[in-house]
Amino acid sequence: MTSKPRGRTKPEVPQAEPDLLARRDDFIQTFFRKGAQLTEELLKEDEALRGRMQNLEAENAKLRAQLRSDTAIRELLAKIELLEAEKRQLLDRFDNAGAFGRDFAQRFADIELENSKLASLYVASYQLHSTLDLRSILRQLKELLAQFIGARSFAIYLADDTKQELRAVASEGVPVASLRPVVAGTGPIGRAWNSGHATWVDGDSTAGSVGAPAACIPMRLDERSVGVIAVFATFEQKPEFVELDFELFRLLGAHAASALAAARLFAQHGTRIGPLEPFLELE
Amino acid sequence: MSSQYSCLIVEDSPMMRQLLVFALARVKNLRVTEADDGIDGMRKLANAKYDLIITDINMPIMDGLKLVKRVRTDPIHRDTPIIIITTEGSQEDRQRALALGANAYITKPIQAPQVIAKVKELLKIEG
Repeated sequence: MTSKPRGRTKPEVPQAEPDLLARRDDFIQTFFRKGAQLTEELLKEDEALRGRMQNLEAENAKLRAQLRSDTAIRELLAKIELLEAEKRQLLDRFDNAGAFGRDFAQRFADIELENSKLASLYVASYQLHSTLDLRSILRQLKELLAQFIGARSFAIYLADDTKQELRAVASEGVPVASLRPVVAGTGPIGRAWNSGHATWVDGDSTAGSVGAPAACIPMRLDERSVGVIAVFATFEQKPEFVELDFELFRLLGAHAASALAAARLFAQHGTRIGPLEPFLELE
Repeated sequence: MSSQYSCLIVEDSPMMRQLLVFALARVKNLRVTEADDGIDGMRKLANAKYDLIITDINMPIMDGLKLVKRVRTDPIHRDTPIIIITTEGSQEDRQRALALGANAYITKPIQAPQVIAKVKELLKIEG
């Protein structure tokens, strides 16, 4: 069955050759097919590009995030370095303060020790000259030797000018009667008397004896030895002489003789000062 | 306000007493009273309350060990810390004094820093 064209009809075109028509159709079909193929390829390409772009964008975002993270890390590292430096500074300051504190504590201890020494020397000197009674002075000397120096056994020798010998007038730990007179220049005591120089043992001071005293301290009066204090041995708790003892030896060497001599003269004058003229004539 | 402490020194040697007074002058807020021997010490303890007693062992009339014994039976001073000071260094004497109730023991020759440290320790004074 054939249908009739309605309304306006197309103008008549001349009939082409069937072969030409077929070729035209073929060309058109090919053209459209290729166009469709190209479009399809373009679409695919577009889709691939979009995917690629998405990937790149994702990668970019990742890189940006990493960059931000790296910056943060760098900042944190810088801050850590700063804090480390600050910590080192604080530790240095703390060490310095600690060293200063230790130095200060040491100086304080040294000063306390020096104070203690000065107090001992002051008390010894004060007590030695606090009386003109010969017996009291000898007692003070004995106390000083026992309690300040830690002498367990000792003797105080005085020179007998007429016989050129020393005689023990007081002792502790050894009976005074058992101590024989010492001739000038003989033994450690006699030699100390002659030389006027104090001698003492280095190291153990507990094991001395009458024959080998731990210390011999000549008592001097106007450049002249008038006696010797002999420390035979010290207490166990005082194993050796220390710096304060040497100061006390010096003090005893210089002050004991004058205290004893003044007491003897005072006793000879009937424990009276006597007329004031000699004092007044000094002016 | 800082607390005021009082200390009684019982020592027959004026030299040692003076040295102890000098040493204890370095302790802030410490008032020191001196007694010549054990009897004098007991008399002073009967008239006042002390925070610390320092006593020699070898003394005439009443020695330090007897004083420690008496103090430990006294209701007012039975808890008062006592430091014994003596020339005797033997372990036996030390143990005897500590057994009688002494709190510390210092042997002569004394060193002021040692005495100060012991006094501060017993009176719980810092610094």
